[in-house]
Amino acid sequence: MKALIIAGLILLSTASALATEDKYQFDSEAQQDLFFELSKELRCPKCQNQNLADSDAMIAADLKRKVHDLVKQGQNKDQVIAYMKQRYGDFVYYQPPVNSMTIWLWLLPALFVVSGMLWLVLSRKSNKVEINLDNAQQKRVDELLERDE
Amino acid sequence: MKKWLLFLLPLIAFAGLLVFLYQGLFSDPREHKSTLLEQSMPQFSLPDLMQPEQQYTQAVFKGQVTLLNVWGVWCITCAIELPYLTQLQQEGKHIVGLYYDQDIDPDFGIKTVSRVQQEVRQKLAQLGNPYAFNIFDVKRDLSLDLGVTGAPETFLIDQQGKIRLHHIGDLNPRVWRNKFEPVYQSIVGTTQ
Repeated sequence: MKALIIAGLILLSTASALATEDKYQFDSEAQQDLFFELSKELRCPKCQNQNLADSDAMIAADLKRKVHDLVKQGQNKDQVIAYMKQRYGDFVYYQPPVNSMTIWLWLLPALFVVSGMLWLVLSRKSNKVEINLDNAQQKRVDELLERDE
Repeated sequence: MKKWLLFLLPLIAFAGLLVFLYQGLFSDPREHKSTLLEQSMPQFSLPDLMQPEQQYTQAVFKGQVTLLNVWGVWCITCAIELPYLTQLQQEGKHIVGLYYDQDIDPDFGIKTVSRVQQEVRQKLAQLGNPYAFNIFDVKRDLSLDLGVTGAPETFLIDQQGKIRLHHIGDLNPRVWRNKFEPVYQSIVGTTQ
């Protein structure tokens, strides 16, 4: 009986797995890989921080279907991304383009590190104190230091 | 000199951060500039919602200023803006509906067209009918080409069939006054 239930469950789980595989058919393994790659890297325009693969929004399903169509037509990754960007803007792809607005995403951290290093170097230099002691004073200093130990 | 700088630099950095974060309070993360502005309407050939034998193409927008309103009976915000759209229509605006249905999934196809028509008739009788006609975006292809993320959304299309505005969300008196009216007047004004 137990074995029967387990067998039934296994059958059920494989059936549902097959159902999701069947939803999108591809001519080749490479196309399928490209489809999964794109659905991870394209952003759902409706639901802010989910990619197409994660999102259940209708628009995400529509875009996924479109990606599937385009991939099956033999378009490559850049072509599909360009197609989506033309309609939904740079927003739709997780990798932002480098332009005058977004260059700061790379520049600011670099500037921060450089200025921090600069500050460290400069402050270390100015901390040096000139010490001029005559012999008696030096002796007294040594005595004090030794007593401390 | 040095002390003065040590005091001033963090202060400037802090002020910059304040300005940046303060702007963030009022920015809408869903708002991004439509890539279709100043572009012609994408090509399409879609049926009328009520008389499916009638086909429309992008040429239908030539010759008059149009408000293209993306909507559906399943969309609650659309029901809220319907009375205001009807008011705009009574003021003489040409409003066309781009209708799409959620339940007609090309992969499954659950709802029949006659059922959709019946629901639409009911909804419009109840809340007002601002639409000159409704284009039925059967597989949501035109919506995709227009960069529609959901409903309601409204486009302002000029006499040459060019998209001049793309608004995501409901159209209410405030949005009309601040966003649509200036552009609408400038388009209408150039021909009079």
